[in-house]
Order: sequence, then structure tokens, then C-alpha cells
Amino acid sequence: MKTLQMKPQHMLRSFIKSIMFLVCLLFINQTISSQEQDSIKSKYGLRVGIDLFTPIATFFDKDRKGLELVGDYRISNKFYVAAELGFLENISEEDFFEFTTSGSYIKAGANYNAYTNWLNMQNEIFVGARYGFSTFNQTLNSFTINNDAFFDPLATSQSGEKFENLNAQWIEFVLGIKAEVFNNLFLSFSFSGKKMISSKEPENFRNLFVPGFNRVFLNNSGFGLNYTLSYLIPLYKKSK
Amino acid sequence: MLIFSSCERDDICIDDITPHVILRFYDAELPTDLKVVNQLSVKVLGIDNDSLFFTGLDSIAIPVNVLANNTAYTLTVDSNNGTILNRDVLTLSYTLESIFVGRSCGYKGNFLNSTYQISDDGDNWIESVEIINENITNETAAHVKIFH
Repeated sequence: MKTLQMKPQHMLRSFIKSIMFLVCLLFINQTISSQEQDSIKSKYGLRVGIDLFTPIATFFDKDRKGLELVGDYRISNKFYVAAELGFLENISEEDFFEFTTSGSYIKAGANYNAYTNWLNMQNEIFVGARYGFSTFNQTLNSFTINNDAFFDPLATSQSGEKFENLNAQWIEFVLGIKAEVFNNLFLSFSFSGKKMISSKEPENFRNLFVPGFNRVFLNNSGFGLNYTLSYLIPLYKKSK
Repeated sequence: MLIFSSCERDDICIDDITPHVILRFYDAELPTDLKVVNQLSVKVLGIDNDSLFFTGLDSIAIPVNVLANNTAYTLTVDSNNGTILNRDVLTLSYTLESIFVGRSCGYKGNFLNSTYQISDDGDNWIESVEIINENITNETAAHVKIFH
């Protein structure tokens, strides 16, 4: 009957071998997992860009001119702080009058990326909110008093006055998508629903258009479209 | 999306715009009684439009000119009867005030501190005029009494 009997030296050798084997295993495992983590590190940085919607719109409609700069900064895996800054001059033609709005605006808030990227892709489907503020002038270019059609043969338009130092503030909810089209270059398309909080109204007229808010509807709501091109200045990388 | 679903359309003008002046006709002999005017034809001096024609009414609403400080009307009574027509010229003078109403209505005109004058042509069918409201800002009530 053969029994497994090891001499003490053999036992020690086996033991050392097993330990070494375990250490090797651990080392390999560590290397593999850290390599996996390396491949899903996301970029954090400052992203700046411009709005393309108004420049494109100006091409079709000379009544709207302006420039908007956009930016956002990633603060966590899902959250970004975002801001937009712009100026706009817009001519509105209504049935009985025409007016020009001219001014600048700023919007600040945050976006939440509801989309889970694979690997190290950086696309977004985001929801966000903004607080907006604008200072502007309104100029009543021309108007005709709305009277009985009986007097139409005499009707001529008269020019109106300029209302200065007006302002308005509002909140927005934003919904959009953002895709990295080239390395660190992003295209974004978003829609915003806006609600006026307060505004300084002109005398015997009304803020029917506000830069950054666009057309003001009867219940002080509005909407906007944004199409932006931006570039990410990477500052550091962080694992998800 | 509460905000979007409540974007109201403000494309249609439903608010009050520039009011007409409302004339009410009374009996010159019994000043508290209303007196209907037969076949009244109203023409505005300076406008080549067809006359406004009213028949069997004791109240009429006629438009006022917002591009001047006065509007002169030729009021012709019994305008369908024969060749002898009695025309009186009534001149309404006022101070114009323009008030912003909204996006689709634009501005309306109010006629303030209005005064009336009947041109004496020796054979007036209108005897006298009494102002009810010198500010013509809406069409809820008559603005002037015409006694004939």
C-alpha cells in the first residue's frame, strides 16, 4: 500500500511554488482589470462652441442676426454645468406694426446625460435646465391704428418710438442630443421650452420678442431651437 | 410638457379696437323720447366711399378718422325721397390717443375731449346736440344725443 508521504523539504518546495503561482495569478488578474478600466476612461474638460442656428437662419431671413457662444463643463459622469451667451437683433413683422428688438442675453444651468455610453464614447442624450436673463431695446419701426376699414383709403403708417433699457428673466427646460463627430468635436441639437419669470415692459407697448427667449406668446411662454458645434478642451481623464 | 401644450395662439384679434361714435336720436319736441330717423345716409367728407345707409334706427355707429383731429359727416335724412334732400354737416373734433392692445390687434384709437358742431345752413333737420360722453373709448353706450 502506497501512501502519500512527503518529505518536509518537498512540502516546503510545493508550498513556495503554490504561493508563487497564486501571486502570479493575482498579478495577472490585476493587470487585466486595470487594462479594462483604462479603456473606459472618460474625458473631462471645458467644451466651447457656437450656435449655428442663427447664422443659418440669417442666410434665409435677414430679419434675424446674432451670435451665440455656448459652453459646458463636466463635473461628474452624468452632470455638466452649461451656459450660453449671445446677442441678437430681430425684426418682427406683425399685421398692424413692425418692431426691432436688439440686445444681449445669458443663460446658465446644468445638463444631465441620460444616455449610457459604450466604452469611451462621449455622446449624450441630455435634459437640462437654464436660468436666462436679457437686456434689450425695442424700436417700434412703424404702425397703423386698427380702425374701421371705411378709412382704409387714407391709411398711412406712422413711425413709433424707441424703448430702451428693458430686461427680462426666465427659466428653460432643455432636451437635446450631442454627438462626438470627430476627435473632441461635437455637434448638438436641442429644443428648449421657456417660461418668463418677470420682465420690464415698455410704456404703451409690450415685449413680444426677447433675445434668448424668442417670440413671447400670450401666456409668457416660448421655445427655441439650438444647433451647436463645440470643441472639448480635455483637462483630465477619469474612470467611469 | 405643460409649457408646450399651453402655448396659446395669439394670431387672432378678439379684443376691442378703435370704437365707432354712437349717435342716439331724440325728439326735439319731447327731449326724453327716442325718435327714429328715416332713411339716413351718412357720408364722410374727404372719403369717396359709398355712403353708410341706416333705415328705421334711433341709434347709429359711425367710424371716426384716426389720422386727423376731426371728422366731418354729411347726414342726409329721407335720402330716398325725391330730389329735395336735407343735408346737415356735423363736425366731430377730438384729441386722439393711441393705445396698444396686443400682437394681433395692434393699436386702437381713443377720441378724447370730443366736441360737436352743426353747420348752420338755414334749414337744419338737426336741432341740437348734447354730449353724453366726451371720451369715445368703447362702444358700450351712446356718446352723443342728436335732437331732431
